Amino acid sequence: MIDINRSLHLGHNPAENITIKIVGIGGAGSNALDRIVLDGVENADLVAMNTDVQALTGSVAAEKVQLGREVTRGLGAGGDPELGVAAAEESLEAIRTSLEHASMVFVCVGLGGGTGSGAAPLIAGLAKEQGALVVVFATMPFGFEGKRRRRQADEALEALAREADAVICFENDKMGDAISPKAGIHQAFASADLTISQSVRAIASLFKRPGLIHIGFDDLRVALQNHGAQCVFGFGEAEGDNRANEALTRALKSSLMDRGRMLGDAQSVLVNICGGPEMTLNEVQILMEELGKHISDDAQIRFGSSVDRAMGNRMSVTIISSVAVEVEQVAKPQPAVIPPVALPPRISRVQPKPVAKRQPVVVEPEPVETDEDVEEMEQPAVASPAESFVEAVAEPMEEAHFAEPSAPDSPASEDEAGDDSLFGLDEPKPAAKAPAQVEKPAARPRPPVTRPPRIITQPSPVAAFSAAPKSSQEKQETLQFEPVTRGRFEKSEPTIVDGQDLDVPTFLRRNVRVK
Amino acid sequence: MARANIFVGLEIGTSKICAVVGESRTDGSLRILGVGQVPSRGVRKGEIVDFETATQCVKDAIAEAEDKSDVTVGSVFLAITGSHISSFNNRGSVMIPEDQEEIEDSDLDNVRAAAAEVSIPSQNAFIHSILQHYYVDGQEGVLNPVGMLGRKLDADFHIVHGIRTRIQNAIRCVKELDVEVEDAVFSPLASAQVVLDHHQKNLGALLIDIGGGTTDYIVYVDGAVKQSGTLALGGDHITNDISMGLRLPIARAEKLKVEEGSVILGNCLPGETVVLQDESGFVGKEVERETLNTIIHMRVRETFDLLKRKLQQQDNYLDYLGAGIFITGGCSLLKGIDHLAGEVFELPVHIARAQSMAGVKSAIENPQLAAAIGLIKYAQAIHMDKPRGWISRLKQKLPRFLGLLLFFIS
Ligand SMILES: Nc1nc2c(ncn2[C@@H]2O[C@H](COP(=O)(O)OP(=O)(O)OP(=O)(O)O)[C@@H](O)[C@H]2O)c(=O)[nH]1
Ligand SMILES: Nc1ncnc2c1ncn2[C@@H]1O[C@H](COP(=O)(O)OP(=O)(O)OP(=O)(O)O)[C@@H](O)[C@H]1O
Ligand SMILES: [Mg+2]
Ligand SMILES: [Mg+2]
Repeated sequence: MIDINRSLHLGHNPAENITIKIVGIGGAGSNALDRIVLDGVENADLVAMNTDVQALTGSVAAEKVQLGREVTRGLGAGGDPELGVAAAEESLEAIRTSLEHASMVFVCVGLGGGTGSGAAPLIAGLAKEQGALVVVFATMPFGFEGKRRRRQADEALEALAREADAVICFENDKMGDAISPKAGIHQAFASADLTISQSVRAIASLFKRPGLIHIGFDDLRVALQNHGAQCVFGFGEAEGDNRANEALTRALKSSLMDRGRMLGDAQSVLVNICGGPEMTLNEVQILMEELGKHISDDAQIRFGSSVDRAMGNRMSVTIISSVAVEVEQVAKPQPAVIPPVALPPRISRVQPKPVAKRQPVVVEPEPVETDEDVEEMEQPAVASPAESFVEAVAEPMEEAHFAEPSAPDSPASEDEAGDDSLFGLDEPKPAAKAPAQVEKPAARPRPPVTRPPRIITQPSPVAAFSAAPKSSQEKQETLQFEPVTRGRFEKSEPTIVDGQDLDVPTFLRRNVRVK
Repeated sequence: MARANIFVGLEIGTSKICAVVGESRTDGSLRILGVGQVPSRGVRKGEIVDFETATQCVKDAIAEAEDKSDVTVGSVFLAITGSHISSFNNRGSVMIPEDQEEIEDSDLDNVRAAAAEVSIPSQNAFIHSILQHYYVDGQEGVLNPVGMLGRKLDADFHIVHGIRTRIQNAIRCVKELDVEVEDAVFSPLASAQVVLDHHQKNLGALLIDIGGGTTDYIVYVDGAVKQSGTLALGGDHITNDISMGLRLPIARAEKLKVEEGSVILGNCLPGETVVLQDESGFVGKEVERETLNTIIHMRVRETFDLLKRKLQQQDNYLDYLGAGIFITGGCSLLKGIDHLAGEVFELPVHIARAQSMAGVKSAIENPQLAAAIGLIKYAQAIHMDKPRGWISRLKQKLPRFLGLLLFFIS
C-alpha cells in the first residue's frame, strides 16, 4: 500500500555537500536561534541578524550581522518594517557575504515587528539569489499585539512566500494555549521557540545522520518547492515499547499537521525516521503503515531512515510536505476561520477542520528540577527562555529598584582633599550598566531615530555603540551575544573579550556537546 | 595609641564578604585576632550591584569580626577589584634645581607627580602609583636616591586606575555603616603582600587570585610590580557553565563543583558517574564525571589562555618569572588547577595562601582570605612609614598614591 516510488540513495552520498545556514532575524529570530543552540544542532552555521545591538550582543550565535547601523543606530527598528527594509538594504553586502556558499538557508523570524518583518523577505530573496534552498520559519503575532502588528505580519508573510521556497508559519496564539494568561507571553514565546528549534533541527538533521536510506537534498527541494502551496510539517519523538506509534502520533499532532488531515491532500510527502542502533525494520514498517492511513494512495512518498547513536532508545519521525492550495479550496470551501496555521494571505487557504483541541507542538521543555530544588531559585545565566521566563517576568521590578540611585546623599567627607579623591561621596552611585532586558514587543517605544533616505551603504567601521567590543574591521561585524536572561550575571557588565561574551559557557561557544 | 596598631582588612567579594582584624606587633610581626565572614549577596564580578543588600552583608561581616576579636572597628582597609580597573607603566622625570646639591624628599614627590601627568579617561581616578625603580642621571637600580648627587631624577611607576564612581560605590557602602575607609587597595596587590615573600618578588612571580567573580593578577619582576589587572571571570562562571551544561540549579552546580569537580581530563573510568543526592539523602540524577570535568576544564583553561595572552601583550614578563606562578583565591582549591596552569603557562605553579602570619589558623590557611589578610600587611607597611610624615603630605597633594610605600617596606 505504500509505494515508495522513488529510487533512494543508499548510505551517505559524499558528493552531496550540503552547507546549512540558520539565520535568526530580529529579536524573536535570534531568541529562536538561542533555543536551537541550546538544543544542539551539529551541521549548521548560525547567524543572528538584527538592528538591535543589545539583542545582538545577547545572542549565542557564532556569527552576527548588525543590520542598518546607520539607519537605526543600533537601536532596533521600533516596530517599523520600512525601517527594517532600509536596515537590510544598508547591510546588503554583509548579508550576502554571510549567506555565501550556503546550499540551504533556514530563516527564523517573528513577524509583526520592524526588523524581522522588513528584513526577512529581503534576506530570503538574497539567499535565493545565491542559489540556496530557502525555508522560512515564521511566527505570527498574538491577537493582543494589535491590528497594526498583525497587518505588518500579514504583509511580510506574503512577501516571504514570494521569496522563499517554503514558509513554515506558526501562530503565536495557537502555541500557548496550555498556558496561564499571566505567565502567558513569555511561556508562549518559549514554546514557539521550542517548536521552531525542533522543526529546524529536524530538517537540518536529515542531512547529517548517515542514512540507511538517505534523503537527498533534492528530495527536500521537491517536497518543498511547490509555489503557491502550504507547507505541512510535523515532528515527533518518543521512546519506550510503543515508540514508533507514539512518535508518529506526536508528529501528526504538530500544530502544522492538523492531526494528519492535512496530509490527505498532499501530493508528495517526505518522511524521515531516525532512531538509535536498536531500531528495527519492523518498527519502521509499523510506522510507515500507520502513516499510510493518512496519505492519499496516489501520493508520492519520499522515505528516509537513519541511525544516530545519540538517539539512544528514542525514535523520531519528521514529515514534510506541501499542499497545493487550489485543490483544497475547490474541494472543500469553508467559512473564513483564522487558520491555526497561518498561510500566506494571498493563498488565503481556509482551515477546514474545527480549531478545537489543537495541541501546541511542545516537546516537554526539559525539566530543570525546580521542584526538587526549591532551595535554589537562581537560574543559570543564558538560560533558555523556557527555563527562565519566570525570572524574566520578575526582572523589571528588581531593575527599577536598582536603577534608583539608592544611596542617600551623605555629605562628602571634608577631610578629603583633591578633586580626584575617591573617598568623597559627591557623585551619584553609578547605575550599573543597563542590563539586558527581555523585550516586550508591545511595550517598546519607538526609538528616536530619524530615518535617512534609503541608500545602500557599507556599514561604517566605527562602532556605533559604546560598550561594544572592537571587532576586527571586517565589513561584517561579529558582535557578541547577550542572552535574554543573564541569570547569575544579570545586572553585571557582560564580560566581553575580543568580541566574545565570556559569560556564555565556554563549552557552548566552542560547540562542545555535553551529555 | 593603644589601638593604633590594630588594622582591619575588608574584602567585599563576589562569594563572601570578610573582615579580618589584625594586630601589628612592635617587632613587626602580625597576628590575626578575628575574622568575620558572611556569604556575599548583591555583588557580581567583584562589584556591588545591589547596594542595600551588600551593605547589610558588610555590616554583618564587620559585626562578626568585632565579636570574634573584641575590637570595635572604626576604619578599614578596603580591597577593590572589577573589570574597570586597568594599569600601565609610566616614567616620570624631574630636573634637580641648579642650586640644590642633593636629591631631597620633595624631588621624590615631584617625580611621582610627573609620572602621574598622563591622561587617563576623564571618568577614571588613580588608585595606585607603585614605584618600580629610580634612575639618577640615567643610572639604574637606585633604591633610595635621597641624599644622592645628581641633575636628573627619573622613576618608573606602575599606575593603577579605575572608574571613579565604581570605586566610590564600594567605599560608600562601608561609609554607610559609619566606618571609615583608610585606603582602597587593588585586590591582587593586597593578596601579594602575604602570598609572595620578598625573595619571590625579586625572582619574579605571577600571582593569580581566582575568586568567585574575578580573576585578579599581579606580576612582580625584580621586586617591582610590572603588570596587574582583573578579568571579570571566576568561579561563578564555572558554576554557571555546570548549571547550564548539566541542567542543574546554581546551588547544586556549585556544590558539585566544590565537592567533585576537577580540571583533569581523562582520569575517570569510562562511564563513571557522580550520583547527586538531594537534601533528604535521596539518590537523584547521575552526572557523568568526565562531562563535569570537561565543562570545568574548558572554562579554566580558557581563563588561563586569556590571561596568558594578556600578559604576553606587554613586554612578555612571563619570561622573567623565576619563582613561577602562585594561585590563590577560592578557586585555587579546584582539583588539578596547578597542573592545568603549568600546562598553559609552562612554568612552575604553586597553590598559595597567606604566609608569615600568626593567629587564627583556619583563616590563614584559607586561600579565600588572602586578599583580606593581605590588607593588614599592607596597612602595617603604610603605618610603619607614617612617622616619616609621608602620608599626610601625600594625602593632600595627590590622590591615593600609597602603593609607593610598599616598595620601601617589602
Ligand atoms: N517565538 C518568539 N516570538 C517572539 C519573541 N519575541 C517577540 N516575538 C514575536 O515576534 C514579533 C516581532 O518581534 P521582534 O522580533 O522583537 O521584532 P523585531 O523584528 O526585532 O523588530 P523591531 O524590534 O521593531 O526592530 C512580535 O510581534 C512577537 O509576536 C520571542 O522571544 N520568541
Ligand atoms: N574547594 C573548592 N573547590 C573549588 N572551588 C572552590 C572551593 N572552595 C571555594 N571555591 C570557589 O571559590 C570561589 C570563591 O572564592 P573567593 O572567596 O576567593 O572569592 P571572592 O573573594 O568572594 O570573589 P571575588 O574576589 O572574585 O570578588 C567560588 O566560586 C567557590 O565556588
Ligand atoms: Mg527587536
Ligand atoms: Mg576575592
